[in-house]
Amino acid sequence: MEKPKQNGDQKVGKVFLIFAGICIVALPLIVFSALSSEPEGMETIAAETQDMDFDDSGKTIFVNYDQISADYLEGTSTARTLDEYYSLRQYPGSPPLIPHKVEEPDLAPVECLTCHARGGWTEELKKNTPITPHPEQEACRQCHITVTEAGLFVENDWMSLAPPRLGRASLPGAPPPVPHDLQMRGNCIACHVGPGSVAAIRVEHPSRGNCRQCHVPETNAPLFERKPKS
Amino acid sequence: MDITRRQFIKSAAAQSAVASAAVLFPGISFGAWKNVSSGGIEWKKTPCRFCGTGCGLLVGVSGDRAVAVKGDPNCTVNKGLCCVKGYHSIQILYGKDRVTTALVRKNGKMVETPLKEALDLVASKMQETIKSHGKDAVAMYGSGQWSITDGYVSSKLFKGCIGTNNLEANARLCMASAVTGFLTSFGMDEPMGSYDDIDHADVFITWGNNMAEMHPVLFSRMLANRKAKNHVKIIDLATRTTRNSQAADKSILFKPQTDLAVANAICYEIIRNRWVNWDFVKKHVSFHKGKTNIGYGTQDHFKFTDKAETVDFEAYKAFLEDYTPEKVEKLSGVPAKDIKYLAALFGDPDKKVVSYWCMGMNQHTRGTWINNLVYNCHLLVGKISQPGNGPFSLTGQPSACGTVREVGTLTHKLPKGVVMKEGARKLAAKIWDVPVENIDPKPTYHTVEMFRALDRGDIRFMWIQVTNPMVTMPNLNRYRDGAKKDGRFIVVSEIYPTPTYDVADVVLPAALWIEREGFFGNSERRTQHNEQIIPMPGDCMSNTWQIIEVARRMGFEKQFPWSEETYIEDTWNEYIQFHDNPKHRMAPYNDLKAKSGIVWPYVNGLETKWRYNAKYDPAAEGDSFDFYGKPDRRAWIWLRPYEPPAESPDSEYPFWLNTGRILEHWHTGSMTRRVPVLHRAVPEAYVEINPDDAARLGITNGIKVKVSSRRGSVTMKASINGRGRPPRGMVFVPFFDESYLINEATLDAFCPISKQPDYKKCAVKLEIV
Repeated sequence: MEKPKQNGDQKVGKVFLIFAGICIVALPLIVFSALSSEPEGMETIAAETQDMDFDDSGKTIFVNYDQISADYLEGTSTARTLDEYYSLRQYPGSPPLIPHKVEEPDLAPVECLTCHARGGWTEELKKNTPITPHPEQEACRQCHITVTEAGLFVENDWMSLAPPRLGRASLPGAPPPVPHDLQMRGNCIACHVGPGSVAAIRVEHPSRGNCRQCHVPETNAPLFERKPKS
Repeated sequence: MDITRRQFIKSAAAQSAVASAAVLFPGISFGAWKNVSSGGIEWKKTPCRFCGTGCGLLVGVSGDRAVAVKGDPNCTVNKGLCCVKGYHSIQILYGKDRVTTALVRKNGKMVETPLKEALDLVASKMQETIKSHGKDAVAMYGSGQWSITDGYVSSKLFKGCIGTNNLEANARLCMASAVTGFLTSFGMDEPMGSYDDIDHADVFITWGNNMAEMHPVLFSRMLANRKAKNHVKIIDLATRTTRNSQAADKSILFKPQTDLAVANAICYEIIRNRWVNWDFVKKHVSFHKGKTNIGYGTQDHFKFTDKAETVDFEAYKAFLEDYTPEKVEKLSGVPAKDIKYLAALFGDPDKKVVSYWCMGMNQHTRGTWINNLVYNCHLLVGKISQPGNGPFSLTGQPSACGTVREVGTLTHKLPKGVVMKEGARKLAAKIWDVPVENIDPKPTYHTVEMFRALDRGDIRFMWIQVTNPMVTMPNLNRYRDGAKKDGRFIVVSEIYPTPTYDVADVVLPAALWIEREGFFGNSERRTQHNEQIIPMPGDCMSNTWQIIEVARRMGFEKQFPWSEETYIEDTWNEYIQFHDNPKHRMAPYNDLKAKSGIVWPYVNGLETKWRYNAKYDPAAEGDSFDFYGKPDRRAWIWLRPYEPPAESPDSEYPFWLNTGRILEHWHTGSMTRRVPVLHRAVPEAYVEINPDDAARLGITNGIKVKVSSRRGSVTMKASINGRGRPPRGMVFVPFFDESYLINEATLDAFCPISKQPDYKKCAVKLEIV
């Protein structure tokens, strides 16, 4: 079989053409910097456990931030609502369904990321495209699937979690904490800025790139209690 | 009808009310679920329930409900990523038709029965059958999805206490050829390498293996490695174009069964080009040949025993003369230049090569042989047992390795060694506290023959756990009819109604996955523990405890003395005595509890990521390689020829039938079809047809086509240019859908050495209905 190539007669929006260039330059850089250390031999085995938290991929995220134009960061022309956002998920943090038709064969790295790596307006769907927080993952359709039928095989009694409430600052005017897990979703600007983002969770100060200097993750940990050594 | 991208764009624009996705997907969107009244969630680790990859999951628990999943960042298998099945796995626990009480067939109807009464009946029926028909008339059929302790107690009960070797597991249908491949080439089961190879290799060759859908998380790691390094190549060598082929750098298609010839041709080229790593071969390899024309096992009572004969390199070289790339091109359809390209990848001393395979090579009437032949490719160039270099047999099921292969829940096996060996019987008798005479030195039936014995009446009682043979047995009509015959008694431990449940006389409600404590063992020798995370519903009971309850009722209290609070830990502690040596030492219970899986051999607190290499493996002697599994301490290269499949297309049945899995569904779908998003993504099975064949036969997308073989037929929708594309002359059908039992058409031919059936090759015809 031929190696799949991008189909020449694909209709692509103008935005794509601009962003494709950026993607080609930026993506390898981003990913290379994230994966450039290579363990060798036995002595590194114990240390191979990776933390997927934001702090571990901080550089990637800053590079990513650097690559996005100020105009895009300030963009607000979105129609996405939080209800729509959650309607594609089973619980906060589950991989969203693909809400539009996709084709076979699966050319996910080419087709999904042309739009979802950098966002922008799609003429086809008349929408601003949401950006993935993890463009380094290329096998998109191993987690994101479509819906082809409305019926169920058997009803299910599973229960979900209520989505986190927004804007829970501890003090008036204080920055709200990060109400969700950062794993696979540590790249704040992917979801919280730009025209493809959900209006309710878009930040008012998108040009400030060091999000976590003010917004810290919220956990269920009990209050600090001092246990002095006797 | 197939929609092109252009048409799609038009239609999408027309209905750009697409906007409200909530309207598009009523019922499965987030808002449609009831929410738990949350006091925050707690994350608990477990291996994933599904495939042999063995991803670590963190399950979010609120109260006694599992509500969310994320990948376990501490688990080196998946490093925080899951596939779509894993992310939605917790929903398998809550299907509305969950079996929560025991059922007993009374006057032809299944009647809810107190669990104690049902267990009494199972025990008394088993004793009665032994009394009237002998101990070899009762059998247990388990699973590579069994927890390790489930398999261990069933081996102890059947082999140690009852004294029959009628113990098999569905891994026979899935991994047996991998096992015999390892044993014949290396003398010890399971891969030498680990998943760490993915981060080190330069070349990946997938042999008949659609990793993109079947081992998606490992596939993502491969893609990440390729992306990071620029020069990494993925070569897909397969009989059908899949998502794996689409992402590969090169896709090479071969005709079914000719992988045997292609592998030999690669070795021919390695030798012809003087790429042999003589330093390695002279020290660490020996050459052997076995019997040829070995048959296909389609008749009852088929017997075969291979006989190894040691030969020299010159004999091997002469044997390969039949496999020049040019000759093999004619047989396999693989261009000679592609064979030479593959050989050059192996031959390049600067390239680290990993081979991956799973069911394509194992479900093969010469499954053992093709496993041997891929090892040959790696052995000739010494690319084995080092980071980034090695042949790696992927497992299908989450504990095919942990439970079936390591515990040995197969007719010829014991937890250590085989029943035929006195030493192995003595060790088992000692640990089990049973008379050594109890353990029968003669294996009885492998899986296919076991179901034939049930049909014939040689077996009268069968207990089936964690598997669905009334969907998965090849040549299914015979075995379903056999199971339904008078005088057969079938016990099924189940979580949901299935076609196997339908033939049961007793159904025992089973605890599922995180409703109980347990262990799985994945493809890379990693043992993974999970605690009980949520309560079991109704009368559900773990499979281990069901077996213990029945064993005690049969008078084996002494062998099963454990309390319900600690039996999993106690069973583990007893089991690991079998493997207490540096070649196979298992991690202690507390270590497993603390960590996201530990790779064995676990010696002095260190995992062994590469076996047979003294640099990494404490059991290896000397300063380089030591293939200590074999008496000559060498890896064996085998002279294995091409032989044709059991059944090939002809004028009456002109198509190959290939069967397999897909991303969204796990095996027979009894769990994943109850997950709304997975069911709605792929609600039913289909037959994939090559577009040229479809055009010639007038078949269009979505119309009903009857697929029939000499054994049975299924009528289902055609899929043309779907996610997979078979070549001309082949059709592919996934087996997850109990409404379209494709195994009624498949053939029960198997590899005579491994006894594993070939689900990938038989002859069918297509008719529009």
